[in-house]
Amino acid sequence: MTSTRLARVAPPVATFVVGVALAELVIRALDVSPLILPRPSAVLAAAVAESSALLPALGATARAVLGGLALASTLGIAAAVALAASPWIQRAFYPYAIFFQIVPIVAIAPLLVIWFGYGPRAVVAAAFVVSVFPVIANTLAGLLSVDPALRDLFRLHGASAPATLWKLRLPWALPYLLTGLRIAAGLAVIGAIVGEFVGGGGLGVIVLGAMRQQRTDLVFAAVGYASGLGLALFAAVGLASRLALRHWHVSERER
Amino acid sequence: MRARLLLALTALALAACGGDDANLTLALNWKPEPEFGGIFEAERSGAFARRGLAFERTGGPGAPVVQMVTARQVAFGIASADEVVLARDRGSDVVAVFATYQTSPQGLMTHAARGLDTLEAVLRSPGTLAVEPGLPYVKWLERRYGLGALRVVPYTYSIAPFLTDPTLTQQVFVTAEPIAARRAGADPRVFLVADSGFDPYTAVVITHGERLRRDAATVAALVAALREGWRGYLDDPGPANALMGPLNPEMDAEAMRLAAEAQEPLIGVKDGALGSMRAERWAKLAGQLQELGLVKEPQPADRYFASFE
Repeated sequence: MTSTRLARVAPPVATFVVGVALAELVIRALDVSPLILPRPSAVLAAAVAESSALLPALGATARAVLGGLALASTLGIAAAVALAASPWIQRAFYPYAIFFQIVPIVAIAPLLVIWFGYGPRAVVAAAFVVSVFPVIANTLAGLLSVDPALRDLFRLHGASAPATLWKLRLPWALPYLLTGLRIAAGLAVIGAIVGEFVGGGGLGVIVLGAMRQQRTDLVFAAVGYASGLGLALFAAVGLASRLALRHWHVSERER
Repeated sequence: MRARLLLALTALALAACGGDDANLTLALNWKPEPEFGGIFEAERSGAFARRGLAFERTGGPGAPVVQMVTARQVAFGIASADEVVLARDRGSDVVAVFATYQTSPQGLMTHAARGLDTLEAVLRSPGTLAVEPGLPYVKWLERRYGLGALRVVPYTYSIAPFLTDPTLTQQVFVTAEPIAARRAGADPRVFLVADSGFDPYTAVVITHGERLRRDAATVAALVAALREGWRGYLDDPGPANALMGPLNPEMDAEAMRLAAEAQEPLIGVKDGALGSMRAERWAKLAGQLQELGLVKEPQPADRYFASFE
């Protein structure tokens, strides 16, 4: 491990270790009932002991999250391109895109089950609903902020609209889109788990069952797995963003 | 005149004895409904007030009542016997003091048109089973009959899926969902889980062990008042239902009346006072929960409940 990499990994790891140790000490010192707040050591033990149930559940949740994100990216980008086509379209439809951001997913989740049936489709739909807006909003901002000088250059050379979209506006919007995806990744995990509360399967059902059986250690262990999934997705988008942008965009140049 | 003065003095004296306990909190685990009829009747008829008790009601659907009592945020709460056994196994000191339902009102409901006559037949016929994840009694049924033929999905407190799916079976409180389904035009058939041998006391009033040790008199007064309230409610649920109606817009007067009627056979006690509990039943329940792997070590039965005969 090089010293720069160490310098990058050490601070968050140290924060984690110190935070967990502190929580353990405080919970022990105050003798808090495990029903109200489990000790980190008990959560860790449950995460290991119940891994045969947690890992397949994590897999199911991850598949639903990826499905939701894939839908959110494709439809989100398409919607942003359509909205950017004219200010009139934007004015007519953008307010309704905002609906996706403010919709209380907990309230509409039972409806998703009625529309899509029990199972993964309802869960994917829930992940999609909460994660599509950041994609639309960020991509649209990118498409609308193209440098006017470059746009004029394309026009001077008689570039067609599709060529301008493909060679100028989408690449220009790419960093914005990737930022949107980073936000969407975390939200999609939340959406999927809420979807599982009503649609069934995955970590969501483990959380509900553990609550019912007063296994707060298992609740937190499942939440830990879900957080791990969110972090992994965040890192994956980060990696994609580095690979896609490092040669030309200021945000990913070597720092 | 003199009698009334005496009464006032007694009430004053009792209130003084109660100290800060004169205002107690009682956390319900659902909206006001006939399940809590005796509590509202005790409030209405003055059964609490005559014993110097005043309750502030709190909680509701989804309230973590066992946790609230464990943390002593509330003095009393409503839970079920299996929740008490689980909580004590996890280190909490909650104790049951009054058991409303002597027979558990939990059941499964499916469509009568399917022609299934037993719980076993329902569970062995292909279809969908909508239950809250993690329910101990579902684990019990799974162990007893197997759920392999069924697709198990979460129950979300709506009977809409039941009304549209002719092969759906769902969890119910016999006092609630079957009545709603029938009024919505369905023809449900209900099977009590209790008949399969898993029968925890339900709508149990719980408190913290510390309160029992420090202030058993208040608890005894509460139990006596509840007994009086429930006796009154069983005689005539009308007045308490009228009190609960505005607090629960989802149930109209007819739904309340039908629920009170449906729950009556579950409340009566054969030998003993209303709400009383027996050690054998707690021991049996703890043994069953251990068998299901939900409890590490059953405790002596008398730790789960306190008797006020």
